Formats: sequence, C-alpha cells, structure tokens
Amino acid sequence: MREASVIAPRSLREALRAVGRKGVVAVAGGTDLLVRLHDVAAGERPSFLVLDGVRTLHSIAPRGKGLALGPLVTFSEIERSSLLRTLAPQLVEAASVAGSVQIRNRATLGGNIANGSPAGDLLPPLYVLSARLELSYSGGRRQVMIEDFFKGPGETVLRRNELITRVVFERSQNRGFFLRLAVRRALAISKVSVAANVSLRNGRVQSVRIALGAVAPTVLRASRTEEYLLGRELDRDSIETACGLASGEAAPIDDIRSEADYRREMVGVLLGRGLLRIASAR
Amino acid sequence: MKGPQDSATVARVQVSFRLNGVSFRKRVPVDWTLLRYLREGLGYYGTKCGCEIGDCGACTVLYDGVALNACLILAPQVDGVDIWTIEGVAPQGERGLHPVQQAFVERGAVHCGFCTPGFVMSTIALFLETRNPSRQEIKEALAGNLCRCTGYIQILDAVKTAASRLRDRDLKKFVSRRR
Ligand SMILES: Cc1cc2nc3c(=O)[nH]c(=O)nc-3n(C[C@H](O)[C@H](O)[C@H](O)COP(=O)(O)OP(=O)(O)OC[C@H]3O[C@@H](n4cnc5c(N)ncnc54)[C@H](O)[C@@H]3O)c2cc1C
Repeated sequence: MREASVIAPRSLREALRAVGRKGVVAVAGGTDLLVRLHDVAAGERPSFLVLDGVRTLHSIAPRGKGLALGPLVTFSEIERSSLLRTLAPQLVEAASVAGSVQIRNRATLGGNIANGSPAGDLLPPLYVLSARLELSYSGGRRQVMIEDFFKGPGETVLRRNELITRVVFERSQNRGFFLRLAVRRALAISKVSVAANVSLRNGRVQSVRIALGAVAPTVLRASRTEEYLLGRELDRDSIETACGLASGEAAPIDDIRSEADYRREMVGVLLGRGLLRIASAR
Repeated sequence: MKGPQDSATVARVQVSFRLNGVSFRKRVPVDWTLLRYLREGLGYYGTKCGCEIGDCGACTVLYDGVALNACLILAPQVDGVDIWTIEGVAPQGERGLHPVQQAFVERGAVHCGFCTPGFVMSTIALFLETRNPSRQEIKEALAGNLCRCTGYIQILDAVKTAASRLRDRDLKKFVSRRR
C-alpha cells in the first residue's frame, strides 16, 4: 500500500520537477479529479500535486496582439473578465453556462483541456479561437495547437511529465457565439454544443470557424460548412444550408446523455440560432 | 472520498486556516475532502454530505468569500484560506438567527432541512456579490443547490425577503480578508 501525500509547490520549476514522478497526479480545481477518485480505495490513491500555489499559472494577460491565459484561470474568472468579454466572447459564454456557481468557482481552463472530454464546454470556443497550448516539462516546453492536442475521449498528447502552462490565442475582433443543449440549464454536461467565430465584410462572410462539441470522439471543426459560408451573405437560405451541412458533419453516438439522431439535428438548430443572432446584430 | 481508512494511521499535512472566524492550525489527512474533514475531523456536521460529486450543493461552504462544494476540494487545500460554514452564520453570542436563516424559516423554505445549510451559504455568497439580486440572478446563484421537498418558490421568496432586510453588518464577517 502506497501512502498518499500532498505536494504544494510555490513555483513552476518545483511543480515541473514533481509532475513526472510515479503516482503523482496534478490537481487544479479538482472538479473532475475528485469525482473520478471518489470510489478509489485508500491504498490506491495518488499523491496530489496541488497547483493552486503557483501564482504565475493564474494570470489573464495580453500577449502581442493576443491573449495568454494561465491554466488555473477559473470559469468564474473567465466569466468576469472584461478583456475576454470583448476578445473572446465565445469563451465567456461557455464559461458562464457551465456547471453551477460552486463548480465555476473551482473548475479551471487547464483542467477542462487536460480532461479531454469531447463535451468540455471551453473546448469548442478554443477551437474557433485557434488556441495554442504551451506544454512544459522540466527543462523545456513545446507548443501544440488545440486541434492536435486531443486523440480521443479522455486521450491527449500530454506526456506524463508535462503540464499545460499557457493557453494563447490571437485577439478576435469577430463576432462569436457558444450555444449548448443539456438536460437542464445548470449542472448538466452538454448533449451538444456549437461555437463559432465569424467576421463579416460588406455583409459577406470573410472568415469563419465553427466547432462542434459532444458529437464526435473529440471536438470537431465543421470545415465543409465553413467552406460553404465563405464569401456568402448570411441570409435565411445560406443559414439553412449551413445548418444542414453541419448536421451532416457531426458524427454523434447514442449514450446516457442523448441519442445520435437528436444530437445531429440539434447541431443544425444551434448553429442556425447563433448565425441568425450574428446576422441580425449587423 | 470514501475509504476504510483509520484516521489514526493516515498521512497528514500541517495547514493553517480560519474557520468561522477562528484560526486553526491542524494536521489534516492528505487525501480527505474538506467535507469529510469538517464532519469527521472537526465534528462540524452542519455541512451536509449529499452526493459527494458536486451535483447537490448540500456541502456548500464559503471559501475566501465564494461558494464551493466542500466535497470537491482536498482538506490540505484549505491552507491559508478563510472558510465559513453554517455553524458560523448566526450572530455570535447573541440569541437569534442571521437574517438569511430567519427569512428561510418565515417563508417556509425549510422542510426536511437537509439542503438548507447549502442554500444559506450560497445565498450569503450571492449577497457578497450583489445586495439586491433579481429573481433571475437568485435562480442562477442557487442553481447548484438541490431541494427535494419544499420546491424552490419558497426558497426564492426567502432570499428576496432576506435581501430586503439585510444590513451591512450582516455580511461583514464573511468578507474574506484575502480578497
Ligand atoms: C457537478 C459538475 C458539473 C460540471 N459541469 C460541467 C459543465 O457544464 N461543462 C464542462 O465543460 N465541465 C463540467 N464539469 C467538469 C469539470 O468541472 C471541468 O472539466 C473542469 O474544467 C475541470 O477543471 P479542474 O480544474 O476542476 O480539473 P481537475 O479535476 O483539477 O483536473 C482534471 C484533469 O486535468 C489534469 N490537469 C489539470 N490541470 C492541468 C494542467 N495545468 N496541466 C496538465 N494537466 C492538468 C488533472 O491532472 C486531471 O487529470 C462539471 C463537473 C462537475 C463535478
């Protein structure tokens, strides 16, 4: 039987030295981890690397033309950041509808990413913001685009000795949205979600990114739908066609939260709602 | 987290924290949740143990002035933190209840009472943000707390009633020194 212990580093260096060790698991907000460990017997529990005390991992700061977020930024901090409200409205919308007040006060950006659930609500916004992740290990770091980070449900390219230490994206002056459906508004995991980042010029779509959550093993870019929308005006016809295309791009499954057919249908409905909102906000 | 551990043999770590305004220095079991530590370690049974997975809100406490689920945080993570539980809500040394508790009683918002400590703590957290919340804001602030008997109307009414009576000094002690 291994004795559980707690490591509470004050610096990133210290944290990175500990993270690769056998039986050590990083704790950010703990909202996924403690649920998972709930039924793990005493002797089987890991040593907890509590990241809280590493101050540099909590920041929200401009970087170049964009923004750099520390992985320990909580959903509540995202919700309240006026900087993010203008620069990444999708991310703010997602952070404000997830979980409950209690969960949002603890749940972190880095935890949502590392957990790797295709239903993680911050992920579709990060896809449409073309986020880049900085992964650090003792002695170095590497950059990975968010789209290359996930291999499947709960599976990522993060190595055992690495931590996510920054999430970086360009400032978007575009219009964006995040919409989701769950069994109820609070405390429910998404059955399906859609995020988009759209810029219009002279009434036409100049650039567009659309990401779908909870309808495939990882978050999915709706690239055919994006291609179709490029250069078009957002009117009833083009929006209807886009919705049909996006439904076709989803690859959902039946599970405890929903059924494949319903999810596919709702991808179109949510995308339509969001695009109409953008069209009428002109 | 459940576990057959005997609390005498479990690994512990030293932490300092304030609980209901009183400073503590304690050796806490490294892999206990705050919920378990409050109840089994300190004998503070007012914080209720419901689902233990963050869904029911019965274990809501104030953690540096914000609401969170005590079942989803490790006991060692209270180091340096200001915690308030239901035991600390009523004014000290006086008879009587806090205006939030009083409003819950008067409005029939308490039936079996199991969810009440969590609702009261979430309500206080809401008041620390806004003294005059709309009905919608109240619903959102309490969405992480479940009640299975009274229904929610009485609870919403109680929060409204409490808001109308609240004075600054009813909130002062809950404001975290660290924020
Ligand atoms: C009741 C409830 C409701 C929820 N509702 C929602 C919801 O609506 N939407 C949603 O998206 N999620 C929801 N969740 C899931 C969870 O809150 C989120 O996924 C959250 O973002 C996880 O972050 P955390 O900081 O709590 O992660 P933790 O539990 O601390 O960590 C999760 C995993 O990530 C690893 N990790 C954490 N930080 C790092 C890092 N910096 N580098 C490397 N690895 C790291 C940990 O080792 C662990 O494996 C809910 C959870 C609960 C309990």
